[in-house]
Amino acid sequence: MRAGNRGGPGVETFKYDNAIVRAFAIATVIWGLVGMAAGLLAATQMFWPALNMKLQFITFGRLRPLHTNAVIFAFVGNGMFMGVYYSLQRLCKARMFNDLLSWVNFWGWQAIIVSAAITLPLGLTTSKEYAELEWPIDIAIAVVWVIFTVNMFGTILRRRERHMYVAIWFYIATALTVAVLHIVNSMEVPASLFKSYSMYAGVQDALVQWWYGHNAVAFFLTTPYLGLMYYFLPKAASRPVFSYRLSIIHFWGLIFIYIWVGPHHLLYTALPDWAQSLGMVFSVMLVAPSWGGMLNGLLTLRGAWDKVRQDPMLKFMVAAVTAYGMATLEGPTMAIKSVWLFPRLYNTKLWSIKLANYHFWIALLGMVFYVVPIYVAGVTEGMMWKQFNKDGFLQYPNFLEVVQSIIPMYVLRAVGGILYLSGVVLMAFNLYKTAKSGQFQPDQEAQAAPLTREGASDEHSHGHRWLEAKPMTFTVLALVAVLIGGMVEIIPLWLVKQNVPTIASVKPYSSLELLGRDIYIREGCLGCHSQMVRPFRSETERYGEYSKAGEFVYDHPFTWGSKRTGPDLHRVGGKYPDAWHYNHMDDPRSTSPGSIMPRYPWLLTQTLDTACLPSRIKALRSVGVPYPAGYENGPAQKELEAQAAKVVGNRRRLPRRRNERLIVCEASNRLTKQEKRTGQIP
Amino acid sequence: MTEDKDPLLLDHEVDGIRELDNKLPRWWVWLFYLSILFGVIYLSVYHVFAKGDYATKGQMQAEYQAEMKVGEALKVAAMTRFESGIPALKPLNDPQVLEQGKKTFLTLCAPCHRADAGGLVGPNLTDNYWIHGSNFTDNVTTIWNGVPAKGMITWKNTLKPNEVVDVACYIYTLRGTHPPNPKPPENLAPVKTGPSEFE
Repeated sequence: MRAGNRGGPGVETFKYDNAIVRAFAIATVIWGLVGMAAGLLAATQMFWPALNMKLQFITFGRLRPLHTNAVIFAFVGNGMFMGVYYSLQRLCKARMFNDLLSWVNFWGWQAIIVSAAITLPLGLTTSKEYAELEWPIDIAIAVVWVIFTVNMFGTILRRRERHMYVAIWFYIATALTVAVLHIVNSMEVPASLFKSYSMYAGVQDALVQWWYGHNAVAFFLTTPYLGLMYYFLPKAASRPVFSYRLSIIHFWGLIFIYIWVGPHHLLYTALPDWAQSLGMVFSVMLVAPSWGGMLNGLLTLRGAWDKVRQDPMLKFMVAAVTAYGMATLEGPTMAIKSVWLFPRLYNTKLWSIKLANYHFWIALLGMVFYVVPIYVAGVTEGMMWKQFNKDGFLQYPNFLEVVQSIIPMYVLRAVGGILYLSGVVLMAFNLYKTAKSGQFQPDQEAQAAPLTREGASDEHSHGHRWLEAKPMTFTVLALVAVLIGGMVEIIPLWLVKQNVPTIASVKPYSSLELLGRDIYIREGCLGCHSQMVRPFRSETERYGEYSKAGEFVYDHPFTWGSKRTGPDLHRVGGKYPDAWHYNHMDDPRSTSPGSIMPRYPWLLTQTLDTACLPSRIKALRSVGVPYPAGYENGPAQKELEAQAAKVVGNRRRLPRRRNERLIVCEASNRLTKQEKRTGQIP
Repeated sequence: MTEDKDPLLLDHEVDGIRELDNKLPRWWVWLFYLSILFGVIYLSVYHVFAKGDYATKGQMQAEYQAEMKVGEALKVAAMTRFESGIPALKPLNDPQVLEQGKKTFLTLCAPCHRADAGGLVGPNLTDNYWIHGSNFTDNVTTIWNGVPAKGMITWKNTLKPNEVVDVACYIYTLRGTHPPNPKPPENLAPVKTGPSEFE
């Protein structure tokens, strides 16, 4: 951009790009509505499974990742871009580095979201949580993210403000770390255009995944929003930030410590003890730096509480910062930013303060309604699972008894979802009206003096202040800070053999089992079922021998799951006859009265595609699964037919149930059982 | 409160945002120190200077084995007590027992034996053909131990002794009820309905 020169000697005139901010703002609101509606549908299916309307595409297992991806990457992601594009320009006193990159960032991101919305319902998924998208989309994400990063650093390098404000530190940490996390966790070998297998197996995959998963929360949901808080909160409250040195300490403390805590998602699993302990103690150490952000936010509002009472936006802000301190909830932050930004973008006032106040109270009530029941359900469930009677027997050995007792909580949670969603509808309407009443300013003029070499030398700044004027040095140090934790945890798990003791009897999946496992992934069974029996008596009594690291060495990806709406399945192989599974998949309530599992009738009727077998076996071999040479050219297919015939044989001997007709079709059509490898534990 | 005169106000400003330089709250600093201290102590105790089972087997296994020792002793005692008493068991007619047994039957047994016990995956329980013995106590033993080779689940892992007795009493009342369309006796039925060899 050529800068004008009418503001006096050495002062340049330039224009902030508001059009890109508006585009991200609109996308945020739209995807917010879509993502939350999907969430409400998923929440309702948890007590009313028939609400999938007999469509495999919106059955819970496929709907849940659609909801999480839409809310995290579409809603929060667009909101983050909106906030960064708005504040970065103003904090740097410069227009964004390159308009074309800005728009490629915008449309690229929307295209990724649309492709996610198409592929996830189709069952095209890697099954790794918050990283479900398949490899072509993973590559697109990496490209768009690099474009965003280049655009951001370009802007920083052209800044007219010598020192980078704390918000920018957080943006830099976000850009770097998300890139590292996404690329490392998405290392996968394609088997076809929309099917790939993780490069990592079992325990390693689990560790990499939760290093990613937890830090997606940290560096996609938290650090950018802390940056935005540091910009929007003092502006909205017209108060100076409480403590500059707290900003410094909590920034470096947070980014350094956060990266270590991923293993706390894998406590009491087959992950080695030492890694679990590291995750645990760093989680404890993370408390203070996390609260540092909350404190700096809340204490900035000191002396401005009368404003909070009147201003709905500040209310959202207080709720957001406090919620962050307790559980890191980002939703309210989104609302504030939109409610604050829209009137400024359109050069007008918020259409209705009253409506925004209603939105605040409805959203708060909605949150209480879904947070409290879920906490209650979680604690109840945990206590019931672990309860023994005086004779040493499980008090509630029937898993369904536990499920039944928390269904009312699922209902309340959905009520909370309805409230929250209606709040967002109010906000969307309010913003629409605001936009209509004002006049949009796509380019906003501003003036500032350019940076000069002389300016740098005569400012004798030291310590951190000095660093704030050196974006590249700052970036390198931040990168080092975020790399240490991940490397200390992940690398030894690869290199040190005794971390995963081998079990001789563990063999790769047979060809039919492999395709069955892929159906397990496709249908999102992991969304409700774990495959990780933990070393507690309450677990081994209920499920069988606890899971060992060596049992998962051929699992690309790992399929441990992360929640147990249904029971653990690691030891379910052989527990029931094949015929039981046939009936159970057709209608879970026929074998398990009171079950809330959806029906899977299409698994009984759809033809299994065996043409993909060679490419899948080859892909798995390339990541280290020892299938014998030539297995994919004949033996695999033969073995598949034989095993399928056995399963179907067991099914055919079953007397007819109700008026059911006995479907006679290709042996391989009947994958009614998610196949499990036999694994005898020495 | 006039912000401009605040001695803690730093001299820089960006886009209208100014910063104070308040000291860190003391409790916050102490919280941070203590959490770090906790981490150091925890890692030392359980890893660096771990002793006994904690050193050789790791924390998880050590804790698990200790827990199992206590729990299993309790359970084995109760189970042995029950098993040694099986031969003396008699079917009960107490309505409360039958009600409880019926509930268990409909939840856990009906999926394989049909709600009227006429047989489905599992055999008919209302006729005179008994594969594993026709005495009441034989029924109790079959439910308790299961017949894994033939697909009958081992219920002692799920049901408590009194629940097994309740359901056996209920099944006893179903004998001779002649439900419609019953499953034929086992010797006329297909040979294998159990789990496949791949499981």
